[in-house]
Amino acid sequence: MKNNTDIKELWNRKKAELPDSSELIEKAGKFRRKSLSRLILTNAALLLTSLFIGFIWFYYQPEMITTKIGITLTILAMISYLAVYNLMIPLLTKNHLTDSSAEYLQRLLKIKQKQLFLQNTMLNIYFIVLSAGLFLYMIEYTSRMSHIWGIASYAIVLTWFLINWFYLRPRSIRKQEKSINEMISRAESYRRQLGE
Amino acid sequence: MITFEEIYAHYKQKIFRLCMGYVNDHEKAKDITQDTFITVWEKLPDFRNESSHGTWIYRIASNHCLRHIEKDRRMPKGEMPKEIKDTYHPEKDKETDGKTEFLYKCISELPETDRLIISMELEDIKQSEIAGIMGLTESNVRVKIHRIKEKLTQKFTGYEE
Repeated sequence: MKNNTDIKELWNRKKAELPDSSELIEKAGKFRRKSLSRLILTNAALLLTSLFIGFIWFYYQPEMITTKIGITLTILAMISYLAVYNLMIPLLTKNHLTDSSAEYLQRLLKIKQKQLFLQNTMLNIYFIVLSAGLFLYMIEYTSRMSHIWGIASYAIVLTWFLINWFYLRPRSIRKQEKSINEMISRAESYRRQLGE
Repeated sequence: MITFEEIYAHYKQKIFRLCMGYVNDHEKAKDITQDTFITVWEKLPDFRNESSHGTWIYRIASNHCLRHIEKDRRMPKGEMPKEIKDTYHPEKDKETDGKTEFLYKCISELPETDRLIISMELEDIKQSEIAGIMGLTESNVRVKIHRIKEKLTQKFTGYEE
């Protein structure tokens, strides 16, 4: 490599066959529809579940206050989960890609830290409120059962709760943390490079 | 008003080379190039002539490169639409292309932000524009480019001997 022109000449040799623009636009549209349908699906699933629980209240007319509180808590848990989920979407999709790289990295860091906090806190609150709701809800129905069936029912729900709390929840948190932390440390190292 | 088609035709190979300098992997570079132009297509209606098209597109491309690790996880291969077949055959080009491969290899071994800076320099982007794209001062860019070129020259001297 004698001089600058040489590198430029070598550099310009790389070429790729890329799809034509109409094909690319079609891909963009497909991708956007796919993310949108996921959002709609999550919302629909949780809303339907909430409606179903509401229907139980209406249809079976529970007598005890604990049942009503239980149902309210369960629905609240799901609605708040949905609210946070929907609030996160613009945070993650409004991607600031047109900012300068230094600004982009700074924003990315903030978003990731916020995401980490929201995900963990929300997941914990969701589990606690949902389980509390379920425990309260069951009081009325188990009280009508024989002792053995009542205890068995609570044992099953308690097992479900324990598995969730001590196995699924930490696993899901760990998985999310790992990828987000990796992104954070990358972004930090890039920022350091720029700050030199 | 410039159309997406015109932008794409003019910049696609340039952006591909930038991505290639960043990842040195033909398929990944094509993916990032496509992602970049998908963003360009989405954001083009919001584009105000505050900066030149070039600066704007290179910003999007550079940021796409920097977030590459995140995308790797979020969008596993196969989720993106199928690639069209690639007619590039590195093995068919010989000698000089050995050097080209070496150049891209050297660049992709630099620190991430340096890869982007030198790639843009090689695309003849003005240093003041590179500064705007990366969020650095112009003098900082000048110093960095000088150092990177020195490093590359050293590696090439070793390669040619």
